[in-house]
Amino acid sequence: MKIAYSHIVRHIKSSPDLSEVSEKLFQLGHEHEILNGSVFDIEITPNRGDCLSVNGILRDLRLFYEINLDDEIYDKELKNFDFNFTNNAKQHCKNITFLKIDIKDIPKNYNSYLNDYFLDLGVTKKNFFTDVSNYISYETGQPTHCYKLDQIDNYIKLDVIKEDAEFFTLLDEKVKLTGENLVFLDKNNEIINLAGIMGGKKSACDDRTKSVIVECAYFDPEMILGKAVKFNLNSDAAHKFERNTDPICHNYVLRRFLKIVEQHTEITNVEVFTDNSIDELSNKISFETSKVNQILGTNIDENDCIQYLTKLGFKYVEDSFITPSYRHDVKTLNDLSEELARSIGYDQIKDKNFTINLYEKKQTVNDELALKEALIKNGFYEVINDPFVSFNEGSGISVDNPLDSKRKYLRTDLKSTLIQNLIYNERRQQDSIKFFEFSDVYNTKKSFKKRVLGIIASGRVDKNFKDFSKKITNKYVANILSDYISETDLNFIPISRESINSKSKNHISYVEIEVISNGLSKHEPKNLVIKNNIHNYKYNPVSDFPKSHRDLSFAVKDFAILAKLEETLLNFENKFLKDVFVFDYYNNTSKEEIKIGFRFTFQCDTGTITDEDVDLAMNQIIKLSLDFNGVQIPGM
Amino acid sequence: MSQKKDILPPKIVHNFGAEHPINQMKDFLIGSLENMGFKSIDGPEIETEQFNFDMLNIKKSHPARQMHDTFYVNKKSHVLRTHTSPVQIRGMLDSTPPLAFISGGKVYRKDDDATHLPMFHQVEGIYVDEDVNFANLKFLIFEIVNLIFGDDVDIRFRPSYFPFTEPSAEVDILSKEGKWLEILGCGIVNPVVLENCGIDSNKFSGLAFGLGIERIAMLKFGIKDIRDFYKSNLDFLNQFK
Repeated sequence: MKIAYSHIVRHIKSSPDLSEVSEKLFQLGHEHEILNGSVFDIEITPNRGDCLSVNGILRDLRLFYEINLDDEIYDKELKNFDFNFTNNAKQHCKNITFLKIDIKDIPKNYNSYLNDYFLDLGVTKKNFFTDVSNYISYETGQPTHCYKLDQIDNYIKLDVIKEDAEFFTLLDEKVKLTGENLVFLDKNNEIINLAGIMGGKKSACDDRTKSVIVECAYFDPEMILGKAVKFNLNSDAAHKFERNTDPICHNYVLRRFLKIVEQHTEITNVEVFTDNSIDELSNKISFETSKVNQILGTNIDENDCIQYLTKLGFKYVEDSFITPSYRHDVKTLNDLSEELARSIGYDQIKDKNFTINLYEKKQTVNDELALKEALIKNGFYEVINDPFVSFNEGSGISVDNPLDSKRKYLRTDLKSTLIQNLIYNERRQQDSIKFFEFSDVYNTKKSFKKRVLGIIASGRVDKNFKDFSKKITNKYVANILSDYISETDLNFIPISRESINSKSKNHISYVEIEVISNGLSKHEPKNLVIKNNIHNYKYNPVSDFPKSHRDLSFAVKDFAILAKLEETLLNFENKFLKDVFVFDYYNNTSKEEIKIGFRFTFQCDTGTITDEDVDLAMNQIIKLSLDFNGVQIPGM
Repeated sequence: MSQKKDILPPKIVHNFGAEHPINQMKDFLIGSLENMGFKSIDGPEIETEQFNFDMLNIKKSHPARQMHDTFYVNKKSHVLRTHTSPVQIRGMLDSTPPLAFISGGKVYRKDDDATHLPMFHQVEGIYVDEDVNFANLKFLIFEIVNLIFGDDVDIRFRPSYFPFTEPSAEVDILSKEGKWLEILGCGIVNPVVLENCGIDSNKFSGLAFGLGIERIAMLKFGIKDIRDFYKSNLDFLNQFK
């Protein structure tokens, strides 16, 4: 919610600066950003509907400041009028007031406070009565709605409709109402207002409207909740009614409304009609300072407690506090404790040491951890995929409200998502892909849930001269798992390259294992590779631009410099060089010569790397290498 | 020239893989909290509304229960859990205080943009005993934050709102750029929740906290886009080993 600093501070006697008010708002729990150095964009928590207004924020700030909340109101007597109002939804609207207003002229200009509201917050003016209504909602937190008097014919019915209906909003948007909706209807049983959310086109005010019926209601939040989102309507009123409003503020709000009208033009007639069935509202909470201190771990003095809560609008009566009508969120001593914690400031509560000695800690190594270790040691990377898929394999659980049609079901195995991971990386020039995923999967069968391990691998076995030319096979994967599961128990699922539209010739190994319980492991892993220290990573954003590989082979006659050559090249630094390793090694004893091959991988973070950049780096590498005696590059 | 016997072939480098960074962070937090005395427990990702909402004092009218925030499955009979708190409810129903549980895992909310994903991870903890208070909660949170971000980090507690805790707080840390960044939510367990689990709230009180793993990992490792965690990009994953 956006509230201008100037609209707040004009009520505060000491005129605190913006940063001080900001600090106090944070202490109170009103997280916010400051826009353009003058407007608080406050994220009011859903339980504090009472703070969705200037007055609501000021009521909280009374904790720190002397605040004048006595805005002028219309103080003349209001005559009742004979209004043909039928309330068929009293359980959803226990208090509603209608005000009939006629004005002599439509004002051409607004007083400064009203004008500032539109200017400071960038709100667009509509017409006089709608503008006052919007301002009143901003100032008091109570939405009102203005109907053009001549469209009402002295009749309004409030009802719950259960059948589908069409409704044109005051913004001329057609809405198809479905489900149960609280609506205002006219004499022809036509919907003129989607209650608490948005008024209708037919009775909307315009810039010539001089006579209106102003509606001020208290709606059951549950009846409003979710409707604006459901019907795709952007409604400040719905936002407020969903979070609950003050059920007994109508007299003040409407008199304030009238005062603003009166400050702009002559009121020629005003009458009121009220339908109120609210019983006793008083919420009394028995108060014990010792219990509050027990909850908070503090030592707050009783008089201080009373002072703080009184400033926040609570009334202290015979060891109890009576909550104000707008504080729907305060019902228990824990709630009052939070009010007191906010009052002194959470950061002022000193932390207290404690220890938990309830359980004997057992060092257990389960199958999942053991399998994970075996895979990681062999170069496999763990992936995590979300469970949503577009297809149902028969026993898949359907999502009732999916994000889109591609995510309508929950996966029953990990195959399709792991294949996607493989394809994604092959397209990024990865030639050795080894992934695993542990996940719960669910289905509609009796088994309902199972824990599975999916493994997918393809390409080169590893990046070293022994394994570079070897390709991943099912046998390779089976060997890794052999300490836990025999090869005959592994059900490798064939995945053809054609089925995934891939031109690669590399075999894809895929196997899925149900992790039922502990007991697979023949022995406990000795050196767990699972990290328990996450502090040493230096992350660099991943480049999406293509890589360039260059291979360079050397013939080494002077064996003494082999290690030096290797060390030099493996540690060669260049801003585009992402990886280097020995992919080939051969000791030709008859020629007394060693052949050693290095693969260099280059990539640019900001664009496609150029041949010139790669050549520049490779020339440096070649020069460095040939500086060693007895090192040659065959063919050069 | 060196003799043949002096030749040492290049070291054969067997490249390790890595656990996913999110699971590394989750395991680190769970392991650290187990060292503090918490017991790790698990629960299902598909939950009933009763465990995911009702038992946690999340009323029918709470916005989180709407179809636009929660995934409902199987003709609205169940939900994909929106937090790991229902695991703690199951833990409390299965035991008697004093108790201290930690749980971590996948949770689901109906979001999908640059900063939110429909699936993410949480670690949550609860400690119920006699005389557990907000000052104890602060001590625990300081311990956790210092474990992750070091001892010299500035920490701020702000009032917040969670239906299952009262008082509730959110905790921020001060970034190097001087900006406060939210890292976790916590509070004193709402007595209603204790009573829902058959725990005498006049005798026992509890503290609870919950962390979003992705958010913590992003801050810790300097990752800007939450979606990077789930692209399964090898060049990303191999930076965490």
